[in-house]
Amino acid sequence: MAADPSAHPVRPEIPQWQRGRFASWLVTVDHKRIGILYIATAGFFFVCAGLMALLMRTQLAQADMEIVTREGYNQLFTIHGTMMIFLVVVPILAGFGNYLVPLMIGARDMAFPRLNALSYWLYLFGGLSLLFSFFADDGAARAGWYSYPPLSVYLAGAGQDLWILSLHILTISSLAGAINFVVTIHNMRTRGMSWTRMPLFVWSIEVYAGLLILVLPTLSAGLTLLLFDRQFGTNFFIPAGDADGSPVLYQHIFWFFGHPEVYIMILPVMGIISEILPVFARKPIFGYKAIAFSTVAIGFYSMLVWAHHMFTVGLPNFLNGFFMISSMIIAVPTGVKIFNWLATLWRGNLHFDTPMLYALGFLSTFTIGGLSGIFLAAFPIDWQVHDTYFVVAHLHYVLFGGSILGILGGLTYWWPKMFGRLLDERLGKASFWITFVGFNLTFFPQHMLGLLGMARRIYTYRDDPLWEAYNLASSIGSYVMGVGILLFVLNIVKSRRGPRAGNDPWLADTLEWYVSSPPPPHNFDKVPYVTSSRPLYDLRRRLRERGEL
Amino acid sequence: MPPAVRRPLLLTVFGALALAAAAPALADNAGFTPVTPESPGAEAINASFLWVAVFTGAIFLVVQGSLLWFVFRYRRGRRARTDDGAQVHGNTNLELAWTVAPVLILVAIGAFVFYKLPEIVDAPAAAAEEQELEVTVKGYRFYWQYEYPNGVIALDRMRAPVDRNVRLRITAPDWDVIHSWWIPAVGGKFDAIPGHVNTSWFRVRNPGILRGQCGEFCGVQHAAMLAELEVMPQDDFDEWYESEAQAQEAGRGDLGQETYAAACAKCHGMEGAGDIGPPLAGNALVNDPAALEEVVRNGRGAMPPVGRDWSERQMDALTSYLREELGDGG
Repeated sequence: MAADPSAHPVRPEIPQWQRGRFASWLVTVDHKRIGILYIATAGFFFVCAGLMALLMRTQLAQADMEIVTREGYNQLFTIHGTMMIFLVVVPILAGFGNYLVPLMIGARDMAFPRLNALSYWLYLFGGLSLLFSFFADDGAARAGWYSYPPLSVYLAGAGQDLWILSLHILTISSLAGAINFVVTIHNMRTRGMSWTRMPLFVWSIEVYAGLLILVLPTLSAGLTLLLFDRQFGTNFFIPAGDADGSPVLYQHIFWFFGHPEVYIMILPVMGIISEILPVFARKPIFGYKAIAFSTVAIGFYSMLVWAHHMFTVGLPNFLNGFFMISSMIIAVPTGVKIFNWLATLWRGNLHFDTPMLYALGFLSTFTIGGLSGIFLAAFPIDWQVHDTYFVVAHLHYVLFGGSILGILGGLTYWWPKMFGRLLDERLGKASFWITFVGFNLTFFPQHMLGLLGMARRIYTYRDDPLWEAYNLASSIGSYVMGVGILLFVLNIVKSRRGPRAGNDPWLADTLEWYVSSPPPPHNFDKVPYVTSSRPLYDLRRRLRERGEL
Repeated sequence: MPPAVRRPLLLTVFGALALAAAAPALADNAGFTPVTPESPGAEAINASFLWVAVFTGAIFLVVQGSLLWFVFRYRRGRRARTDDGAQVHGNTNLELAWTVAPVLILVAIGAFVFYKLPEIVDAPAAAAEEQELEVTVKGYRFYWQYEYPNGVIALDRMRAPVDRNVRLRITAPDWDVIHSWWIPAVGGKFDAIPGHVNTSWFRVRNPGILRGQCGEFCGVQHAAMLAELEVMPQDDFDEWYESEAQAQEAGRGDLGQETYAAACAKCHGMEGAGDIGPPLAGNALVNDPAALEEVVRNGRGAMPPVGRDWSERQMDALTSYLREELGDGG
């Protein structure tokens, strides 16, 4: 006999075994818990890959050190790069997206909660297969994070195959997650939240997800062909008599994915910055539409610049010229963002809480990374500095000075929302300054090393006093950075006993701050009607007008 | 100290420290520009670098300067969090200005790069009587082999005459991996790719030895894959070129030792004592040229086929060198 569901509202029956503190996390399909799982797992991998970096910097502190073996060093930089990109930055942004997108758009959950859980578990196990590949015969993959053939075809051992397997799993995970984001954002926005009232972070996740959907299949195809060349004797990427393959083909495939990947890793961070700056400047964001459209423009152009990673392979110069121009065009929407962020500070009431320090630090260092990118886009200059420490410096200014600083800022900003406790401001600021100084000390001298002629991916270098001085400075800086990150972790641990945060400790503007901290499982009892891109600002003003605040 | 003061103060202190640390090294440009160019192509690249540096330097100052200024000028002071800043939502003219200005700067940068490009890719027209030298550069794991038009073979150290166009054909054997040939003082790097041929050139004004290294990660000994360019006065070069040709023809000379040092010693040690490869001193193989050739041509275990396409002459030079130095002396 069919019961009338409205008469007896159906409460989902949760079996006893799923209610435990541990088990409830295993079976959860709540976007907030999945978001936290993503962030915690990425944090774990961040520490792993960071320790690998410290080991490499120790090896490079002086010329001819013997801290690690040559093969060991090659494994370290391969897994450090792969892990930071595929297991730290991309998934931690998926974590932020998971936690924040439904809250920011006033939704109950993601569109496909179970698919969401699947994405997370695929990510975890894909990541572990990469981490544990160090225990394979001959160790982990050691052909670099972009694993160019023929080298990656000829290297013996299971490490390279596990690398391919792991990336395949992570690709499926990201693809499912990206589809989930797009469906959620397009269909589940609350009443009144039009596209131009959507938080800029949600805009950036929309473009992040769109790019993932467009370019991940290319990576999957390339990895599959690479696996065939390794295991089944095909010649897609190696020249071999009649069946003539080309190593350059792989580079095109890889970078068609690989360059948009760079923007996949920075756009959501730009979204985070666009959320933090106005709240701590007590202003609306300057040029909302310009920032939103520049996000879309960057996403579009990011798919037209891939061969600037390949200026030295000998493409015809008209192609080199094309990719130089397209790469430079990307600097325009990026500049638009930077100028709009600066204008957001103008005539503000700037509060320098920890999240704001990270956002300002991001502005400063990301600009340096963007400017060194212009040197690299000019292809004759790239012929000189390609594959040197200049590139290492550039990419870390963008990925650490940009992505990681922004992510740490986002963590300090939303931590009170996620866990209901405030972080310690003094410890937070100390952690920021130590990380910021250590970062610049580590990576700025690497620009000079590259211009002096130090190639990347070498376990030792020319025995020259200047080279050694810069390298030593860089290694010392990396330890300083390590101390900064350690303080960050300490702050997080201490916050378990920190003061309660309340719903909205920063007096912020977006919907996630309307609900309690941490939010209830169903998010909203009632969603405020959205009439602008700052619903909570409007709400506070209405309450003030009615004398209720 | 309020954070708003601490930040610029710290930046100033660290900036000053960095400059102070850099000052003594500035004599050798200390890595603030690419290495001192020795060839017209490298000079034009340097000029492009400086041109870009002027614009990026200016943008750097504008952005960081206004960041510091705003941070200082608009700090909260005694204001409460509930006090609004100016409720400005944007300004279309400003948006246009900071879209168009970067476009103009990028046009200036791009135009200069294309203006300089011919100097970088085209060798200067040679005088009628001057003969250009063409050298084939091949990247192997983990050494460079140079093949001259008269059949002379050199490894790792390339010799070239001063003030003459030297054209390079850069490639790698089909069974090898990608390398990148790069001597910073004479210009950019070009990849040595199996199945592809890239071209480059240089023309060096002063005799001397210029150093470089493989630019594309090529495996376990990538760091050891160094390259040198010895630029010699024309007469010295001609003498070396002729005598080396005769010596290699006759099986005399240093080709065996040079091959050993470049292709073998990086893994087996210069004295054959072994390193990441097994020791060769006392190894039965060194007394058995046929077996040795088999290993060198086909590789074994982790050892790549370092000499698959060596000429008989080069192979004989190596096997007899090994026998004399590490074996029973033949």
